[in-house]
Amino acid sequence: MESVAAPRFSGVPGWLRGPLPILLSLPILALAQWATAQAPFLVYIASIVGVNVILAVSLNIVNGMTGQFSIGHAGFMAVGAYIAGKFSLETKDVYLPFMQSVAASDQLMFVFALLLGGAVAAVFGFLVGLPSLRLKGDYLAIVTLGFGEIIRVIVQNTEMFGRALGLSGIPQRSSIFMVMFWVFLTILAARRIASSAHGRSLLAIREDEIAAEAMGVNTTAYKVRAFVISAFFAGVAGGLFAHFVGIINPGSFTFVKSMEIVVMIVAGGLGSTTGSIVAAVFLTLLPEALRSIFTQLGGGDQTLAQRVDQIRMPIYGMLLVALMLLRPQGLFGTKEIWDVAPKWLSRRRKGMR
Amino acid sequence: MNLVPGEPLLHAKSVSIQFGGLRALTDFNLEIHKGDLKGLIGPNGAGKTTAFNVLTGVYRPTSGDVFVSGNRINGRKPHQINRLGVARTFQNIRLFKELTAIDNVKVACLSESYSVVRRETLDRLERGTSALWFTNALHALNNYVDWWRALLLTPGFLREEAEVTKKAEGLLETMGLLHRRDEEARNLPYGEQRRLEIARALATNPKVLLLDEPAAGMNTREKADLMVLIRELREKFSLGILVIEHDMKLVMGICEHITVLDHGETIAAGGPAEVRTNPKVIEAYLGESFAAAHAAAAGSGA
Ligand SMILES: Nc1ncnc2c1ncn2[C@@H]1O[C@H](COP(=O)(O)OP(=O)(O)OP(=O)(O)O)[C@@H](O)[C@H]1O
Ligand SMILES: [Mg+2]
Repeated sequence: MESVAAPRFSGVPGWLRGPLPILLSLPILALAQWATAQAPFLVYIASIVGVNVILAVSLNIVNGMTGQFSIGHAGFMAVGAYIAGKFSLETKDVYLPFMQSVAASDQLMFVFALLLGGAVAAVFGFLVGLPSLRLKGDYLAIVTLGFGEIIRVIVQNTEMFGRALGLSGIPQRSSIFMVMFWVFLTILAARRIASSAHGRSLLAIREDEIAAEAMGVNTTAYKVRAFVISAFFAGVAGGLFAHFVGIINPGSFTFVKSMEIVVMIVAGGLGSTTGSIVAAVFLTLLPEALRSIFTQLGGGDQTLAQRVDQIRMPIYGMLLVALMLLRPQGLFGTKEIWDVAPKWLSRRRKGMR
Repeated sequence: MNLVPGEPLLHAKSVSIQFGGLRALTDFNLEIHKGDLKGLIGPNGAGKTTAFNVLTGVYRPTSGDVFVSGNRINGRKPHQINRLGVARTFQNIRLFKELTAIDNVKVACLSESYSVVRRETLDRLERGTSALWFTNALHALNNYVDWWRALLLTPGFLREEAEVTKKAEGLLETMGLLHRRDEEARNLPYGEQRRLEIARALATNPKVLLLDEPAAGMNTREKADLMVLIRELREKFSLGILVIEHDMKLVMGICEHITVLDHGETIAAGGPAEVRTNPKVIEAYLGESFAAAHAAAAGSGA
């Protein structure tokens, strides 16, 4: 845990410290946008990776930092996706007259859609967080699982959301810039919360709820708030997803999706933001890599690759079992990469001597 | 503050608690005033830790009342009681193991982290009202604003972080732990973990400090040092202190008033000399002297 007022910002005036990383990210993101303009497949893969990173980092706030076990994250993603998607569908042709161009107007509407999706998901986060006032461990897990499934079933039976067919024709307003910007915001928020009084309270709840309560931490309220912020970002991730695939249906937000995210944060180390990022990137790219490898092996024929894709979950499972046997605390444990990497490096150096 | 002069900071009035058929505490009475240093002793399973748990809201008394600065606290949550000025340590050390020593203390430094309505104001409101939903709403408002302050790293937020860090460092220094600042709590030696628990409890700005066997597992020298330290803390932070301790000699040495429990019943209460010569106490303790010698190894209760 490093403190926020770390000396690495010492030369920067106080008011600039907050927005500085965001300001610095903008030109880099713009560059990325420009560089990938001719590579739609790359953008697509990067967007999927980005959405999964947001999901993993946000779920880690509840499961890793606060120590509550939620396994219904896809439910919040679904809420965000459907709300944002529906909003954009309905306002497809709205042009904000004060914007210079249609494209700019669309982007602003897109941001509205994302914030709306995130906000509604946050409300659901609050509602699901409430039972966590009373439930612990397995029981909470079951409630969150149930929530995820309930959302899916509700959507599946609502005319407005296209029932089993879902929503299609959602304007594809997403861009690598927007996805990565939100990835960046999510990570920044997670890190900054972690090193604030708020985050310390969450960590204290994870470590010892009775002691945290005895030290004046309103554990129930903090748990609910962890759910709220986590759900907000999951909702935004859903919104982004809806706007780059253009079609969403209940099948995109099943229990399997929730489990994928849980696997990511467990593999990365519960409580480690950088671990969640690394695991989310790796586990998202892995099936894509497998697909292209087996397409090549099959001499361009997709059938072999498709077969392999079908056993993706078993492969995930085996990887997870292997990881849990070799490194039960996950990749980085509860630490961040900069806490762990120096130790690994120095150990290797010692080993060489 | 609505504290009448002479009103105890912590007051248990004929408190009883039952677990099923087990009467863990019967008709327990206690007053802690500012500047008090009192002891709570008794053989294993006498109900000492249970008394702490009732006083801090972990358990609700089956009958009787507990008052903190004149507020009846039956049924209030532990964190609310802590905010009223009662802090404690745990017999079976409950540090935040994976957090550093300083972060353990900073968790408890909540008092400075409020922005919209000052924490002190809220604490005062909470003392004066029974409409806790109202103060809860204000707490929530504060917290949501604090999020944004943390996310945006506002100058006010950074200043408060720096203040909290300074306060925590000061407390670590008081407890002789500053050299352990950035070490994980679980890696500290036993005696230091106990002292870190006290530092953490002090960070909540208590008026009353409850110490559950703070010297357990320490050697004779460490114990003696700790007892001196406890006396100093009372002066430095103008506290009322209640200590559970198995070592009769130690308790007799520092406490001005001692309550003796046995099977949940108060068998004696008074000054050290009075208690020492009480036949009931002698009986309870002689019968248990063998067990008491091994008490250090025991670790039950919350
Ligand atoms: N939550 C509980 N449920 C049931 N029984 C309990 C509970 N907490 C404590 N007890 C019982 O109450 C009695 C008093 O326990 P307590 O922990 O208060 O003793 P103690 O005086 O602190 O002893 P020690 O010196 O061993 O710490 C014991 O018999 C214990 O088993
Ligand atoms: Mg005890």
